[in-house]
Amino acid sequence: MADESRKAEILAGLHDGVVEFDEDRTVELANQAVEEGVDAYEAIMDGLAKGMETVGGMYARQEYFVPELLLCADALYAALEILRPHLKIESHAEPRKIVVGVVEGDIHDIGKNLVKVMFDAAGWQVIDLGADVKIERFAAEQQKAGAQVVGISALMTTSMLAMPKIIKMIKEGDPNARVLVGGAPLNPDIATQYGADGYAPNAGEAVAAAEAILAQA
Amino acid sequence: MAIDRLQALLDGEKVDQVPLYHFLLGFCARNVGYEVADMYADPKKSYQAQAWTFEQYGIDGGPDYGYASYGGWEFGGEIKMPEGEWQQAPSHVTFPVNKPEDLESLTLPDVRTAGSLPLAMEFSKLQQQNGTPITVILGGNFSVAGNICPPSTLCRWMLKKPDTAHRLLRIASDHIMDVVRFWADTFGAENVIPNLWEPIAANDIISPKQFEQFALPYIKETNEQMLAMGIKHILYHICGEQNANMPLWAQIPMGDPGLVTFGHQVTLTKAIEHFGDSCIILGNVDSSLIQTGTPQQVYETCRDAILEAKDAPRGFMLMSGCELPPMSAPYNVFMMKKAIEDFGRY
Repeated sequence: MADESRKAEILAGLHDGVVEFDEDRTVELANQAVEEGVDAYEAIMDGLAKGMETVGGMYARQEYFVPELLLCADALYAALEILRPHLKIESHAEPRKIVVGVVEGDIHDIGKNLVKVMFDAAGWQVIDLGADVKIERFAAEQQKAGAQVVGISALMTTSMLAMPKIIKMIKEGDPNARVLVGGAPLNPDIATQYGADGYAPNAGEAVAAAEAILAQA
Repeated sequence: MAIDRLQALLDGEKVDQVPLYHFLLGFCARNVGYEVADMYADPKKSYQAQAWTFEQYGIDGGPDYGYASYGGWEFGGEIKMPEGEWQQAPSHVTFPVNKPEDLESLTLPDVRTAGSLPLAMEFSKLQQQNGTPITVILGGNFSVAGNICPPSTLCRWMLKKPDTAHRLLRIASDHIMDVVRFWADTFGAENVIPNLWEPIAANDIISPKQFEQFALPYIKETNEQMLAMGIKHILYHICGEQNANMPLWAQIPMGDPGLVTFGHQVTLTKAIEHFGDSCIILGNVDSSLIQTGTPQQVYETCRDAILEAKDAPRGFMLMSGCELPPMSAPYNVFMMKKAIEDFGRY
C-alpha cells in the first residue's frame, strides 16, 4: 500500500503525464497505482482529471491547441483503461450522464470528441452517439440513459438548423433534460434562439457550462 | 453577372461601387429549384444556378465549382454528395490515408481523371465558353493534407510523427501544383485564378507555431511556383479564426493583386493592415448571421463592413465570411446588395 507521500507522487505524475501528453508515463503510473493500492477513483479524479482540467485552461488561454488536446486525451484514456476496472463503484455516487453527438448531416467531430474527453475526465458518464446522428436519436438516447444533459454539436451553418427540432424533441420527451450546444457557427444568442439551456464556446468550457445549467435547474 | 467590377479591380482600376462577391453554392441550388448536390455533381446545372442567382442579386464575378473537403476523393477516398435536409456540401465517407504506412503506397493521382477533377474541368470549360473568370478551387496545402487523412490524425502526427506530417504535406503540395499546371496548360496560366480554401489551418485547430512549421512553407512555395508559372492572381480563403496566423499569411505572395477573403473572426481593418497594399480584401459578413439574423442586423453588419473597408488600397468586395448558408432567407441576401447601394458607392 502506497503511503501518502508516494500516493501524492503518483497523482502528480498522472496529472503531469496528461498535461505533457506523455502516454507512456500515464500508463506506467496507472499500473503502479493499481499495484501499490492507490484508490482508482482518486487516481482518476485527483490525477488524470485534474490534469485534463489544467489542459482545458491551457486551451482556453491558447497555450494548447487541438493537436495537444488530442494527445492529452490519448494519455488520459490509456490510463483510464487501466484504472477503470479497479473502481469501487459502490463507494461513489451515481455519475452524472451526458449524451453527446454531432447533428445529422455533419461529420465534423473533433470538437465533440474533445467535449467527450472533458466530461469523461470530470467523472461524467458519456453516451457518445458519434457524428451525423439522426435527429430523433438524441431524445431517444437521452431517455434511454436517463441523462441529465444532452450536448449537441454542429460545425456547419446548415446542419445547425437541425438543433431547434432536436431540442424540442428532447424537451417533449423529458422536460427536465437540459441541452448544451456548441460549434463554430453558434453563439449564445443562437443557442437561446434555438431553445438550448446553455452554450459552450469550446471544449474546455463545456463541463462548467453543463454544471451551470444543472445548478439553475 | 457583372464581371466588369472584378476585372477592374484586378486591373487596378476604379469601380463605381463596392462589388458584391460570392461564396454561395447551395443557396443558388435552392434559389432555382435544384438539389444542393447538383452544385457538385452536375457542372452545367451548377453553372446555371449560380449565373441566374448572380443576375438576380447583382452579384459580381462568375460561377465557381468546388467544396471544402477537396482532396480525399482525388487520392482514393470516398465522399458523399449532400443529401437530406441538413447537408451543405460533399463530405468524407472514407479517407485514403489513416496510418503512416498508407503513405508509403500513396501516389499522386492523375489530375485528368481523379475524383472531382473531371467535373471541375467540365465546369471551367463552361466558364471559358461564357467568358467568366476561369477558376479552380482546391484546399490550401494544409487542408488538402487534412482531407487526405482525418484532420485529427494530421494533428497527432504534427506532434508525434512530424516527418510523416511533412511527407503528407509534400504530397498535398505536389498535387495542388499538378492541378494548377493542368488548368494553366488547358486555359493559359494568365487566365486562371486558383481559389484555395484553408479552414483546417485556422487557430480554432492549430497554433501559429504549428502553422509556421507545417503550413506556411508549403503554401508559400506553392504560391511562388504558381506565380512563376504565369498565374496573375491567387484567391485565398483564409477561413475562420486566423488572427494569430495573420503575420505569417502576410509573408505569402498572392499575385498582383491577390485576393484574400476572411471570416468575421478577422476584422477587415486587420486584413487591410496585413494585405491592403498587395491584395483585394473580401469579406467578412458572418455567415451564421445571414442565416439567423434579421434583415436589419444583416444590413447594419454589411454597412459597417463597407464603411470599414471600402477604401482599402487595392479594393474591397463585400462577401459572406464563409459559404453563405443554403437556407438563408433570400431577403437577407438582398440586404447585402442594398447596403452596397446605400453605402458602397464611390
